[in-house]
Amino acid sequence: MTTSFKLELRRGSVVVGKWRMGRYRIERLLGEGANGKVYLVQRDRDWLAMKIGADTVDLQSEINVLKSLDKQRSLETFLYDVDDLYGPDGREYPFYIMRYVRGTTLASYLKQQGPEWFPLVALNLLGKLAKLHKAGWVFGDLKVENVMVADYGHVELVDYGGVTAKGKSVRQFTEIYDRGYWNGGSRSADPGYDLFSFAVLCIQLHEPKRLHALTKELLPQNRSTSELMEIADNCPGLKPVSGWLKRALMGEFADAAEGAEAWRALMHRRVTRNSPGMPGWLKGLAATSGLLLAASMGWLLLDLFL
Amino acid sequence: MKQILLITDGCSNVGLSPVVAAAHAKSEGINVNVVGVLDQGDVGELGASEIEEIARAGGGLSRMVNMRQLSQTVQMMTRKTVVQTIQLAVQKELKQVLGNGSIEALPPEKRGEVVRVIDELGETSGLKVALLIDASASMKPKLAAVEEAIRDLMLSLQARQGKSEISVFHFPGSRHGDDCVMDLAWTSHLNGVQSIFPKLQMAGTTPTGPAIMQVVDYYRQGQNDMSDYSRRARNETDGMMGDYVV
Ligand SMILES: Nc1ncnc2c1ncn2[C@@H]1O[C@H](COP(=O)(O)OP(=O)(O)O)[C@@H](O)[C@H]1O
Ligand SMILES: [Mg+2]
Repeated sequence: MTTSFKLELRRGSVVVGKWRMGRYRIERLLGEGANGKVYLVQRDRDWLAMKIGADTVDLQSEINVLKSLDKQRSLETFLYDVDDLYGPDGREYPFYIMRYVRGTTLASYLKQQGPEWFPLVALNLLGKLAKLHKAGWVFGDLKVENVMVADYGHVELVDYGGVTAKGKSVRQFTEIYDRGYWNGGSRSADPGYDLFSFAVLCIQLHEPKRLHALTKELLPQNRSTSELMEIADNCPGLKPVSGWLKRALMGEFADAAEGAEAWRALMHRRVTRNSPGMPGWLKGLAATSGLLLAASMGWLLLDLFL
Repeated sequence: MKQILLITDGCSNVGLSPVVAAAHAKSEGINVNVVGVLDQGDVGELGASEIEEIARAGGGLSRMVNMRQLSQTVQMMTRKTVVQTIQLAVQKELKQVLGNGSIEALPPEKRGEVVRVIDELGETSGLKVALLIDASASMKPKLAAVEEAIRDLMLSLQARQGKSEISVFHFPGSRHGDDCVMDLAWTSHLNGVQSIFPKLQMAGTTPTGPAIMQVVDYYRQGQNDMSDYSRRARNETDGMMGDYVV
């Protein structure tokens, strides 16, 4: 559901966080999706990205994921600030500040720089997914719009709204990238789910029109991974990886690391031959796994009292 | 958690007001979501405002969509309502603790834990969704899309960690003027279900309100005597009891 989200911030206007008083100068809109708007902002001399949410709970849920990821990754922090702002309409909106990811979307990068960058960019993307998988997460909503590419094929994922702990139900997905949509398996978060979306993404990059046409012409019960494979098999740009794509669509890779290994091997072969991821009210909810939930509720209340 | 998801394309025209019926559902702890399906044109202003009002009375959400968006809408609405139901319960709890129930009023650093609990409960709580399908004549060409949306919903629900069940009803009943007929009793999978709506006779009136009441009744009965109900449902599908459900 696309939430109607009317907030517009003007270039040059200054946003001051309600709780933490951080000052951010709005530069421009970077993009928007179903859950919010992302602005390029400046704090002191730093360029940062500000995601403003339509819904406080949804956005917080995304922030929780980013926090856990920041704790796990020893490298660069991604999440800088969390606060609310007063919109020009007087309403309060939740926002968070993250690292500004430079670059362009995957599709336009390949258009500008040429298709010979595809194998490397794809490998780098598999590398990003592998890191998430290793930390116990699944990206979930992998699609062209959520992959940014910068110079020399450097890849960065944006939009952590679909990131799901392994074993839970995928929080957010987009139909054509969804394993369930193609009758290719469940919507449970496992590494194979991302690899399936990754395979669709490869097809989307090479044959967007044929993929789109396929979604229009097929009856739901006839959607299948073999229909997807057929597109891949008939696409010259995908021929070298068609075996790999089939394995990804069939769920044969344990995770993105394994997928990346196989991908790397393919690239190598190509290059050498020739060129070119509380108790009471709980019952009221008819909750099932009582113990676990009571425990987390306990922590919650404890936390609020402290 | 209990939900009714009504899929309709227009106005009710007989019996109890669907808005009143939805309010009854809510008082029983059942949230009512409504999807209005459009073909080319629209459901008309009356239909649109009724759809919105049913959802409001039923503590649920309403959306107008075309056929292509149906599966996605049904899936997202169900998910969103789960979060909202839990959010409400958590907020009630917070009110007792903090004197203020709104998550927005909490400082950002306190929200994280509350939302983590909401997410956890949303994933693990038991969930029942009764789908109530308007099968009046104008809906006939849309039933394939409806069936697809139901299958898609089942797929999403199966991925949850908590127990999830759906049941399916359509209205009006075909022969004896019943308000609604059960097509599928509570189930957690659709394996082996060839067709949810085998050769429906689409005819007559649109008793949306009475149909909602019957589903509320089904929920209520389910608490006491589930087996009796599914037996009747089985008889129903065998055609032995015609359209007699309640
Ligand atoms: N950290 C970032 N740096 C640069 N651009 C970003 C960043 N985060 C998001 N964007 C841009 O904003 C768009 C929308 O953000 P996204 O988080 O995907 O919103 P939604 O959750 O609503 O889909 C993205 O597609 C991307 O183009
Ligand atoms: Mg996005």
